[in-house]
Amino acid sequence: MGKSIVLGVIGADCHAVGNKILDHAFSKAGFDVVNIGVLSSQEDFINAAIETDAKAILVSSLYGHGEIDCKGLKEKCIEAGLEDVILYVGGNLVVGKQDFDIVEKRFKDMGFDRVYAPGTSPAESIANLKKDLGIGIDTMAV
Amino acid sequence: MNLKNKRLSDDLFYKIREDVLTHWSTGKDVDFREAVDYMSRVPEEKNFSIQLKKAKDNGITLVQPRAGVALVDEHIELLNYLQDEGGADLLPSTIDSYTRQNRYNECQTGIDESIKENRSLLNGFPVVNHGVHNCRKVLENVNRPVQARHGTPDARLLSEIIHAGGWTSNEGGGISYNIPYAKSVSLEKTIYDWQYCDRLAGIYEENGIKINREPFGPLTGTLVPPSISNAVAIIEGLLAAEQGVKNLTLGYGQCGSLIQDIAAIKALTQQAESYFEEYGYDVELSTVFHQWMGGFPEDESKAFSVISWGSVAASFAGATKVIVKTPHEALGIPTKEANAQGIKATKQIINLTKYQSIPIFSELDQEIEMIKRETKCIIDKVFEVGMGDLAQGVVKAFETGIMDIPFAPSKFNQGKVLPERDNFGAVRYLDFGNIPADKDVKDYHKKLLEERGAYEKRNVSFDMVIDDIFAVSKGILIGRPE
Repeated sequence: MGKSIVLGVIGADCHAVGNKILDHAFSKAGFDVVNIGVLSSQEDFINAAIETDAKAILVSSLYGHGEIDCKGLKEKCIEAGLEDVILYVGGNLVVGKQDFDIVEKRFKDMGFDRVYAPGTSPAESIANLKKDLGIGIDTMAV
Repeated sequence: MNLKNKRLSDDLFYKIREDVLTHWSTGKDVDFREAVDYMSRVPEEKNFSIQLKKAKDNGITLVQPRAGVALVDEHIELLNYLQDEGGADLLPSTIDSYTRQNRYNECQTGIDESIKENRSLLNGFPVVNHGVHNCRKVLENVNRPVQARHGTPDARLLSEIIHAGGWTSNEGGGISYNIPYAKSVSLEKTIYDWQYCDRLAGIYEENGIKINREPFGPLTGTLVPPSISNAVAIIEGLLAAEQGVKNLTLGYGQCGSLIQDIAAIKALTQQAESYFEEYGYDVELSTVFHQWMGGFPEDESKAFSVISWGSVAASFAGATKVIVKTPHEALGIPTKEANAQGIKATKQIINLTKYQSIPIFSELDQEIEMIKRETKCIIDKVFEVGMGDLAQGVVKAFETGIMDIPFAPSKFNQGKVLPERDNFGAVRYLDFGNIPADKDVKDYHKKLLEERGAYEKRNVSFDMVIDDIFAVSKGILIGRPE
């Protein structure tokens, strides 16, 4: 397939387990996963996407600072010429138990194409990404 | 830096301190003499070491939540709620993740935005930004001891501020606050920086102030075999004792198998006592049991069951304290109400099981002996590769994978070890990586995992590991195929 995607955990967040599982699942589904790991800045995501000609950036945040950390990422992508790169975000994105519809809207307003609630299975985001990238259903082997 | 497991000299300590106190503006408010005077007036019921010793002597398991928000008054309100409504015996102040990375400018942004939006945008209490006087304000407005709980590789300024602020316990250590919490900080650096934090506690002790230290037991909180976490806990305890720490709480994170969880705490207690005696350290030891640290079910009733199951294990294991989860765990940081609910559910179990105990039966005894054997094998090898120096040994052991923590983010961790549940739910080694173990021990783990494979009619593999990681959040312990 040869579609490369950038995967990482943003900000001062060091949750590594889900990151390792997403790496495993997306690689198995045929993506070239460029995993920049935990504690990654917006610049780390953008640089990795430029260097590897990535089609999508997948941002994880588990620790509640997602709102502060993700602000401005879309604008920086546009500045860097990555306006067409698909942006996903998922995890425990905010502090406290908040209505997910509101959280989703907040992150979509920030420029994310899809927003995932905690506990989403990797299979769901893999299927979405294949659809968003126009990869045929028949090649889906999740 | 010439890392050695040797007490930092006064010259060196005070030289480092001069620099540490300049890392953020609030450092200038730390005045050690004045702090000792303040600490000497902190009443016994707010001293961690005294309360833990009392609990241990009386065979009681104390209950402690995790909690922290961005602003001081809101934090005080939160702690009071957990104390009065929840019934917490010990209070935390969970520190936000920017502080943990020493990014105090970003903390300020978080504080400002939290004021503007009238809700906490930080996942904890930015203690360095708030400084000594606000720590004291927190302590003076609650009725329990306060501990800093964080995940900070370089916690030197943080430690100075919290202790001067009257907080009598500090969680962390050179291994446990590096490998699971950092990507590219060397172990030489974190062990050295935590020697400073431990020495600081030691200096307070020498001035008559009791300070409790707690290495972080659960590590990555994900299927960590007990012998790995027990080895880290004992080693960090020994490193702390060398710096003059006198009151230590060693930790363990629930695996989920009752027999294994009880065995792990008993093995930890027995083995720690014998190592401390062997190396000539006179230290008051206690234990902390962390309720399930992995993924939680979203459904709150199911989450309460997980919380209660951990409480049962903590109680029967005889842990000195238990760290509590909340019914919001699957969704992130809890509201104060949910947090209090977790404490109440836990206290109910602790009270119900208070006068009960489980005798040592043969399976439990076998599990204790196996954990001790595996742990000793690791610790002995660490001393060996360090040529007798424990600090040097740890650095070399991680380089070579003699010490290895599953699923950790640090690039200084080999990450070759793989855990998996056996057919009864206990966590075993699927792959030892380079962790040393006798052949019959390795064969024993292999046999147990093959039993599960046969039962599930599939090969023992990494897929099973992934299934195990998600199992509890799906409402089961062992990740069986659907």
